[in-house]
Amino acid sequence: MALLDIQNLQLAMRSYEGETQILHGIDLTIERGEIWGMVGETGSGKSLTGLSVSRLIPSPPGRYLAGTIDFAGKDLLKASDRDMRALRGRHIGMIFQDPTTNLNPVFRIGTQLVDVALHAGHNDPSILGLSKDASRGAMKKAARKTAIEMLDKVGIPNASARIDDYPHQFSGGMRQRVLIAMAMVGKPDLLIADEPTTALDVSVQAQILRLIHDLVAERNIGVLLITHNLGVVAQICTHVAVMYRGRILESGPVRDVLKHPTHVYTQALLDSVPTVHTKRGELRGLSGLSQEASA
Amino acid sequence: MTTTDTAIVQARPQSARMENWGRAFYRFRQSWLSIVGLAIVLLLIVVAILSPYIVPHPEHLQGVTNTAARFQPPTAGAWFGTNELGQDIFSLVLVGSRISLFSGMAVVFIAIVVGTTVGAIAGYFGGWLDEILMRLTDLLLTIPSLILAMAVAAALGTGVFNMIIAIAITWWPAYARLVRGEVIGKKEEQFVVAARALGANATRILCRHILPNIVSPIVVKASLDTGFAILTVASLGFVGIGVKPPTPEWGTLLSGARSYMPDYWWTAVAPGTAIFLAVLAFNLLGDGLRDVLDPKARR
Amino acid sequence: MVRFILRRLVLLVPVLIGLTLLLFVVARLLPGDPVGLAAGPNASAETIAQLREQFGFDQSIPLQYWTYLTGLVQGDWGTSVFTRRPVFADILEFLPATLELVFAALFLAIVIGIPLGLLGAVYRNRFPDYTTRILALGGIAMPRFFLGLLLQMAFAAWLGWLPLSGRYPFIEIPPETVTGFYTIDALIAGDWYAFQVAFAHLALPAIAMALSPLATIMRMMRASTIEVLQQDYVMTERALGLSSRLILFKYVLKNAMTSTLTVIGLYVSWLLGGTVLVETVFDWPGLGLYATQAILTQDFMPVIGVTLVIAIIYLLTMLVVDLLYGVFNPKVRYA
Repeated sequence: MALLDIQNLQLAMRSYEGETQILHGIDLTIERGEIWGMVGETGSGKSLTGLSVSRLIPSPPGRYLAGTIDFAGKDLLKASDRDMRALRGRHIGMIFQDPTTNLNPVFRIGTQLVDVALHAGHNDPSILGLSKDASRGAMKKAARKTAIEMLDKVGIPNASARIDDYPHQFSGGMRQRVLIAMAMVGKPDLLIADEPTTALDVSVQAQILRLIHDLVAERNIGVLLITHNLGVVAQICTHVAVMYRGRILESGPVRDVLKHPTHVYTQALLDSVPTVHTKRGELRGLSGLSQEASA
Repeated sequence: MTTTDTAIVQARPQSARMENWGRAFYRFRQSWLSIVGLAIVLLLIVVAILSPYIVPHPEHLQGVTNTAARFQPPTAGAWFGTNELGQDIFSLVLVGSRISLFSGMAVVFIAIVVGTTVGAIAGYFGGWLDEILMRLTDLLLTIPSLILAMAVAAALGTGVFNMIIAIAITWWPAYARLVRGEVIGKKEEQFVVAARALGANATRILCRHILPNIVSPIVVKASLDTGFAILTVASLGFVGIGVKPPTPEWGTLLSGARSYMPDYWWTAVAPGTAIFLAVLAFNLLGDGLRDVLDPKARR
Repeated sequence: MVRFILRRLVLLVPVLIGLTLLLFVVARLLPGDPVGLAAGPNASAETIAQLREQFGFDQSIPLQYWTYLTGLVQGDWGTSVFTRRPVFADILEFLPATLELVFAALFLAIVIGIPLGLLGAVYRNRFPDYTTRILALGGIAMPRFFLGLLLQMAFAAWLGWLPLSGRYPFIEIPPETVTGFYTIDALIAGDWYAFQVAFAHLALPAIAMALSPLATIMRMMRASTIEVLQQDYVMTERALGLSSRLILFKYVLKNAMTSTLTVIGLYVSWLLGGTVLVETVFDWPGLGLYATQAILTQDFMPVIGVTLVIAIIYLLTMLVVDLLYGVFNPKVRYA
């Protein structure tokens, strides 16, 4: 059974001008071990698709017109709030774009990590290495230990000391690692990463991508990597879906799509990426506007 | 990623500044609370101006008493009832609005004039002038304003004018601080640098360029402050400093009514509610203006 | 951190000196003759001159100031022409009553204002929000003295639930002084009856003083909370499954506190300086009444003394607020 199976997802959002349909029937299937890139322009609906999986779009402005999101057999669109909360952090992890604004600045990173670990371990203490009837104190200790291990795993040096540091004491790349640690500490099966490297410089970007790749290899999780950067897709994704204005135009294994694109738009995207050989003045953009409603 | 057609720039029918005010006005109309505030404020001003001519019992204002009708509860003849001298409280409260309202507005006006001057000079010239002026301002801000106002008013003697001066002395520092901050912010902007390069002197730059651009926060603060200034005027009256009976002022009326509580409650409720209404109205107005003029304060 | 506190305390000294200078100059510049007033209308010129010499008013003004300044540090804050007692002793007698009132009002304002502000932000634009916003608007506009009168009318006169005025019944003996706060001293002494009596007297004046700061604190909290709720890190916290309750009461609350803290600090000055209005209504024997009487008799030593005390307390409060900023926002912590 697929890890994540989105069928015909249709989403409308309300704004000042009235309701606009943003997603026009998204179909996407992610298996364990796959890293799916979701690529497209700003406003194509990629972030909203990612947020929909975790049901993070609030119900005034957002309204699902049709479709299902199957996660390990359950339709998330019909799940209760309680069930969703149980899934978040524990089975589905998320990281967002800007590491500076996504960590609460007045709390130590350890506090935030431990809270996520405690939440994940609440229904399932085994992930912390404990049995069902562990005490609160034991849970807290185990959560902290797990958090330190996770920080270590994502490459934070001297994790046991740095866990008590504040976000402003870390660099941008390290902060993103911390966020990845937070997303992974609950040992989720699916990781949704919304533009995780966009705010980082290229060398750090490579390290973060490598980290994600290693995590997938090690834990056999599925990843939905939302990005507008084809280079990122080419580097670590196993599969890719090309989005435009709320529709997936083309999807499949990365090699097939990038080497032999069947859709004109995909070809245009590929053509717009400057290479070493691109001469000055030869930059090619795409004409055609994204829809007015932003993601 | 967008098309390369160039759009035609529409010619604007009004100047940009007028359009800005027009748009601001439209946003103001959106909030009904602000409209209510504005309406009450206008009503109060009209009442204050016209009161001696429209009150039902003008003779009571001169001190004529009617002891036969003392302590009448609110009736058709006397809407707010009568006080211990048989005088119509409605008339007294209405006329009281003159002193309370206009004193409050006068205080804010003086505070703005003095505060803006001090703040603009300090902010624009900087250096030791700024230091001295700001030290002075901060010192004044550390002193509890009510006590200072009372002390100065008492020392200067009774009378509306002295009271206004006394309160204004405690109000200007806040405006000085505000204006200084704004001037410092605007000082380094391109248009000021340009004006200076063209040879404008400090006065011209301040008056013609900087000050018109910092009007918004001053207007917002002024309208919020007027309510509190009225409250301070009433507070001084209540304590017995500044305006003395029989001059009708909401604070003195309230103070006089204390002795007759709770049996003749209307003697206090009328002036007290008047104060409350005035402060509320100016607050609503000020809030409405702030939502419209200050882009950062979006609710 | 200790160095920071010390540095701030040291900086306080020039501020206070400047303050005394300013106050002294203003007091002497203003017209008024306390000695003449105190001596009475029938006093002869000799009596007045004698009194003047007794109070040191015959010396030159700079000398008077110097005497005053040196006296200040030694605990001699001048003598009140009206009460004929040292100002310092007078202040010590009346200060606890005012402080108790101010503390009670601030306590009420914080304990009610902050949760209501949070509530208003969470249920934004729905019923709880509208009621809190109306409360906020009404609270700021309501004059303390009018509210005091209304409370007296309702709860003391008509319902008879609470006493009309005063701090403690004349016929009773207040609890033994440890802090000067009757309520706390009663608790310390384990005297439940005394506590109830003191509390009942404190209730109405405290409410009258508390409404305005409550309203502002509530509005500030609401505004900051709304702003914090829109931050990215709240989205991350939600995305990783943390409960709304945890997010709100542990995380968002701390983030939103800094601006509210500023408001609280500023209100301390407002409260301290404004107690006179409520003290008048409730016959509360505090600093406000003392200062007002001094003002009316143009007795400026007590006025300067009271102003100085309030200014010191205000400056110390701002110091505490600045320290608390460091608690709520680690980025501004001092090495």
